[in-house]
Amino acid sequence: MARFLTKAVGVLLLFATIGVVSCQAVLSEDHAVAPPAATRAAP
Amino acid sequence: VSSAVVARRRPIWIGGWLPFILPLPLTLDALANLWQGDLVGMLGSALPCILLFGGAALIRRGLAQASARPGQAAWPWRTLGAALVALGTAAAAFSAVGHSPPIALCFGLGALLGCYLCYGFDRRPRLSADKDVAAALAEAYRKLDELEAAGRRIRSPEFRERLGRIVAWGERILERIAADPEDFRRARKFLNVYLDGARQVTEKYARTHGEAGSAELEESFRALLADMEAVSEEQHQRLLDNDLVDLDVQIEVLTTRLRKEGVL
Repeated sequence: MARFLTKAVGVLLLFATIGVVSCQAVLSEDHAVAPPAATRAAP
Repeated sequence: VSSAVVARRRPIWIGGWLPFILPLPLTLDALANLWQGDLVGMLGSALPCILLFGGAALIRRGLAQASARPGQAAWPWRTLGAALVALGTAAAAFSAVGHSPPIALCFGLGALLGCYLCYGFDRRPRLSADKDVAAALAEAYRKLDELEAAGRRIRSPEFRERLGRIVAWGERILERIAADPEDFRRARKFLNVYLDGARQVTEKYARTHGEAGSAELEESFRALLADMEAVSEEQHQRLLDNDLVDLDVQIEVLTTRLRKEGVL
């Protein structure tokens, strides 16, 4: 039982660190491709 | 069947995959940055990815090694892997997400703790508290490895199976000695003479059976393997019964036979 709980806490920690950081990296950035300079509105 | 044998037969897919799966979104982030032409952003995600996947690979290697036979030269793969995973997580938190260094460090330490709780760090198991017994056991495990390696070079499935059983009995005997060093005295002859003989005869057969291919040689090797198996099984039983005398006589007979075969 203790062994199972230890593993479960370990898995949760891995999700809370690697998983969270990975998802944050994807969500924190706007990955839309910027339009080329020529198509932008002229000043 | 001994725990070591069971452990080595454990399917490879059981464990160690989580550190490979969790950084997948980060890989997507690196690809998205590449798509955008953002080199700095791409490197900021790709380098932590490399660290994370490298660490995951080392952890799996460590897990596979942990289920191997004791006494083999061991690298602390799991510990190194956990360190790489922690470094990769901290790097991703800092460079791909933009957290401050202390927060990134906390993520790294959390990942390290997670790896420790999930997979543990490598510890070199002591074979025995007695130095002489530990040295003899390490030597015996090495001989078993060589016997197993020689067995893999033999094509006959029957002989490989027999050798597998002999090795399994050998492992059980060594486990028994590790558990009770008093058994070392009872099994000394087995370790010093028999294991060496078994290894040499198998290596010799593995070297020559392809060339000669004589039925007589095959028959003789088959009989020898049967004897070896019986002696190993009996040695194990004698250790359980703490009986010394009869088996030594039997090993003497087998030794004489090995000498006759030109092995010893």
